[in-house]
Amino acid sequence: MSVGKPLPHDTAPLHVTGAARYVDDIPAPANTLHLAFGLSTVARGVLNGVDLTKVRAAPGVVAVMCADDLPFANDVSPSIHDEPLLATDRVHFVGQPVFLVVATSHLAARKAARLATFDITEETPILTVDEALAADSRFEDGPVIWSKGAAADAIARAPHRVEGTMEVGGQEHFYLEGQAALALPQDGGEMVVHSSTQHPTEIQHKVAEALGLPMHAVRVEMRRMGGGFGGKESQGNALAVACSVAARATGRPCRMRYDRDDDMVITGKRHDLRIDYRAGFDDLGRLTGVDFRHLMRCGWSQDLSLPVADRAMLHADNAYLLDHVRIESHRLKTNTCSATAFRGFGGPQGMVGIERVMDHVAHALGLDPLKVRRANYYTDMAEDATEGGPSAPPQRSLGSSPPPEDISGKKKEADLTSRGGPDELNRVVVAEASGQTTPYGMAVTDFILNAMTERLADQSDYAARRAKVADWNATQPVLKRGIALTPVKFGISFTLTHLNQAGALVHVYQDGSVQVNHGGTEMGQGLYQKVAQVAAQAFGVGMEVVKVTATDTSKVPNTSATAASSGSDLNGMAVKIACDTIRDRIAACLAELHQVAPDTVVFAGGEVTVGGDTISFARAAQLTYESRVSLSATGYYKTPGLAWDRKRGQGRPFFYFAHGAACTEVVIDTLTGEYRILRTDILHDVGESLNPALDIGQIEGGYVQGAGWLTTEELVWDDRGRLRTHAPSTYKIPACGDRPEVFNVALWDGANREETIYRSKAVGEPPFMLGISALMALSDAVAACGPGYPALDAPATPERVLAAVDRVRRG
Amino acid sequence: MNTNLTVNGRPHALDLDTRVTLLDALRDQLKLTGSKKGCDHGQCGACTVLVNGQRINACLSLAVMHDGDEITTVEGLSSDGRSPLQAAFVRHDGMQCGYCTPGQLCSATAVLDEIARGWPSHVSADLEGPVELTREELAERMSGNICRCSCYPGISKAILSVAEDGTVHREAAE
Amino acid sequence: MYAFDIERPTTIADAVAALKADEAQPLSGGQTLIPTLKARLAAPSKLISLSGISDMIGLSDEGGALRIGGATKHDTVAKEAGATHPGLAGLAARIGDPAVRHRGTIGGSIANNDPAACYPSAALAHGATIVTDRRDIAADDFFTGLFDTALEDGEIVTAVRFPRPEASNYQKFEQPASRFAMVGVFVAKFADGVRVAVTGAGEDGVFRWTEAETALSSSFTPGAVEGLSVSADGLISDLHGSAAYRAHLIKVMTKRAVAAAE
Repeated sequence: MSVGKPLPHDTAPLHVTGAARYVDDIPAPANTLHLAFGLSTVARGVLNGVDLTKVRAAPGVVAVMCADDLPFANDVSPSIHDEPLLATDRVHFVGQPVFLVVATSHLAARKAARLATFDITEETPILTVDEALAADSRFEDGPVIWSKGAAADAIARAPHRVEGTMEVGGQEHFYLEGQAALALPQDGGEMVVHSSTQHPTEIQHKVAEALGLPMHAVRVEMRRMGGGFGGKESQGNALAVACSVAARATGRPCRMRYDRDDDMVITGKRHDLRIDYRAGFDDLGRLTGVDFRHLMRCGWSQDLSLPVADRAMLHADNAYLLDHVRIESHRLKTNTCSATAFRGFGGPQGMVGIERVMDHVAHALGLDPLKVRRANYYTDMAEDATEGGPSAPPQRSLGSSPPPEDISGKKKEADLTSRGGPDELNRVVVAEASGQTTPYGMAVTDFILNAMTERLADQSDYAARRAKVADWNATQPVLKRGIALTPVKFGISFTLTHLNQAGALVHVYQDGSVQVNHGGTEMGQGLYQKVAQVAAQAFGVGMEVVKVTATDTSKVPNTSATAASSGSDLNGMAVKIACDTIRDRIAACLAELHQVAPDTVVFAGGEVTVGGDTISFARAAQLTYESRVSLSATGYYKTPGLAWDRKRGQGRPFFYFAHGAACTEVVIDTLTGEYRILRTDILHDVGESLNPALDIGQIEGGYVQGAGWLTTEELVWDDRGRLRTHAPSTYKIPACGDRPEVFNVALWDGANREETIYRSKAVGEPPFMLGISALMALSDAVAACGPGYPALDAPATPERVLAAVDRVRRG
Repeated sequence: MNTNLTVNGRPHALDLDTRVTLLDALRDQLKLTGSKKGCDHGQCGACTVLVNGQRINACLSLAVMHDGDEITTVEGLSSDGRSPLQAAFVRHDGMQCGYCTPGQLCSATAVLDEIARGWPSHVSADLEGPVELTREELAERMSGNICRCSCYPGISKAILSVAEDGTVHREAAE
Repeated sequence: MYAFDIERPTTIADAVAALKADEAQPLSGGQTLIPTLKARLAAPSKLISLSGISDMIGLSDEGGALRIGGATKHDTVAKEAGATHPGLAGLAARIGDPAVRHRGTIGGSIANNDPAACYPSAALAHGATIVTDRRDIAADDFFTGLFDTALEDGEIVTAVRFPRPEASNYQKFEQPASRFAMVGVFVAKFADGVRVAVTGAGEDGVFRWTEAETALSSSFTPGAVEGLSVSADGLISDLHGSAAYRAHLIKVMTKRAVAAAE
């Protein structure tokens, strides 16, 4: 059995010797050229022209390209073609690429790029949420509003009410490996591209458009990324396209990487937002009605902002049954870098809003916030439901004609495999769900957080520690403690339904070794190892027999991004299907040779037993080959049961929910606002774990990164739209000492009730939101300083904590 | 500028531009791409290497300043990739994306050496006598190496397991 | 980075001579200068390395005072200054991270006078003497403003002489990302009074908090500064913290330093 084993990362031995290659480590031919962008220094204005004389004359410069020099599409947008590779007539943010320098070295290209003189007529930029609202600067016509019940009436009639506003900051990905690409021109104008990307197919598509080629002429390869976190879902497009057009123009290999400061200035980050809320509730803290307004700052281009903002709305309920709820989401267009995907994809932003409401309600009633949370939980699924298969899929019908293309000017194809792509293909008829439903009408049938919370509260000794915290706070004037236990319920599937598909290509060679290819990409989450475990399990062989090779668009086409936590769910299943096909062929072949039934053939321990004989798997492969039976197969999987009408905000966007809960205790220094996380206990639901070691790593890392988002990681722009926190010396990422002093992580022991790969659950994003417990624990500690409600904004930097202490003391 | 570097035990006579950092010399000239360029500003630790046994950020040091120095990169931590620390990083899965791993390993190698020599840090409880590698001590000593995947529990476990094995002392004695 | 030459003199005299060249600039540990060169804020044609001058390396006793060579690394000060100057050793042990402490030097830090650097506060609080190739400069006269000192062109900090305090301590509220001081307070008690120097907070760089010095000179207890308040005027307000927050932290860090002084 290889599935379920706590194996380390497959390439760990390469990492510890420095032999694991990333894009910028790949040896390139000696004549390789290096690229750098010339960047706009102005946040908003009319681009009248650029004087490139000095740039062209700079040492080492081979070529300089502007928008007019691009042969075909000038477009790196993953959605509505509003993001040119190089600026045309206007500039939209400080850091927007305006021209491209091609030079003999990275340094020469960067130096030359700074020598341009821009002629820009500067205009007043729209930078803040308030400025965008005032100017009605937004994507789509107006806010998206989804509702269930009658929230306004319910709030008006409620015995108690709270309302408030919360500012929530964005987050820089700071993948330790910056964006990078390498383009190698081939015969006949074809292009091979190495790109540090979570979405090779998107790169292939964008490069093909930029070169005026069919997709079959572009091959994209990706072995590993040095971190992605969503920041390499669409943000790598510009580098790969730039390298490809430069390689086409010069006939030489071209490579590009952003220096760290450029990376931080140019690329998008997590969406920051303001959340306005009003809630009505009863004496027990049960919400009778709640109203949210999300004001999301999306930046200058649409990128993936619409589905991000959707997912924020989809998680505005988190773990709570809301009968009367209204969510209004504004997607605001500002002259800042274009906010993009980041672990959780809007989910964390939606979730932190309702957790703030729970905290506020508990404070207003003087109740333990956990009591209030539990009073609002959905009901757990029945005990025996684990054995049930997927519920019957709702009816759906596909539209008969393709949607009209959204084309302006040059011919551009819709980005079908992007999360920013059009969703008109899914003409959905959504069946009315029964029982407890989410604000978007999906039946919640797999909820388990009541039981999980019970167990975590017990294992973390929540009640006794809460009492101890209260005792401590009663006697300690300077250091105050706080504790909070918060839940996570996260929906798993791409909300653009057609992306929930995956392919695999598996070969068994005559020596019995197995090569696996799939559409997913490795960024440290351990996908390759999990997939290898699935393949080894299918053939009953050891892990050493299986090799997962670099993700390659020529092996598996039309892949979705490795995103939405879906990597193992989708690709694991596709690989299993391919392996099962080959295994069944081997079984049929051997069964025929032995004149037994195919289902009596057993694959285990690296051997195959048939009709009383046991032979090695390699021998079985040889016999199959000699019998002229193919040992290569593709696998294809699509998630069943999804039906989502985005326009109405109704349906079943998710196959299932992944759950978790975290209990965090903090101490704050009321003289400075400094704080530390003393202890964190986590209980997380990964279904039947494919690999507990990798899953626990994701949970620990997700928690710390989530807590970082809400505590230390602060992005600051100045009033001219310049990002001031553009280096690790100004932007604080959690370090070794920032992890909790005591850190206990346990896996919930239930299986996924849906038929996922070995009944496992996705784990990439959900643990990120466990970090919300750190913010709520800080709120609890601040609340111990006086009668007022802390109303902590995020990130809760020491200065904000100190200000909140002052606020609650004043009442 | 002519510069002699001994890297992972092998002498190299290089003619270097004075502007070239040690990191660029290792990666571009010697093709030792294990040391990574995470931030290029001495803030992330991905380029940590050992110079005459002490760890430094290779991106913040000019290569020509190291004429005659002995430099150890992740590629040279052992001949077979199985030093106790390397093995422990594999065993405890002290990595996710792996990009910070070379720097973490070089830094951790130096930490174990510092501990074995009894060098206290500002968080050491006792400034005299042997230094105990507590959680706080380790956090302080590894503070210059960022892991964005936040794989700190795995990294810490790996380092502590080697320290507890007493391997530290054997290595120091060698 | 622009092209430049490097020289590696082995004596102070050779270094001073080499620095007479046009646009020559001293290079010590490089932990500040190299990032600056990368950002091309500085464009020297020649760098004169000070790291090979043995007279400028190491700690020694000089008539009861501690003399630290200008090219001595932070790590060395952290390890060796503790017996007589615990506050100073503690300060050095908290600069940056271990890799930075293995390269960065006291002379480089003092000569650069970054408003958020730690060492200037130690020099000022000790009433230290900055020794250069040509003269002695009292710390009170040395730090003249943001990245500005009394050093002349081509003048090298060869050593810093720290009188031995009866008690001393440094408390730093770190700017968490860089670990530079957002507010750092050095308190040093001498027979003739207490000196309090503040770094990280002042718009003109390191400064002495004289009201606290007076109060602490009559009673060296945290409570002595309780009644004082620091004005936010003239303090830095930036992305890491407001002037008001820094003003508040100065008092808190001063009290902590007094409580911890040894």
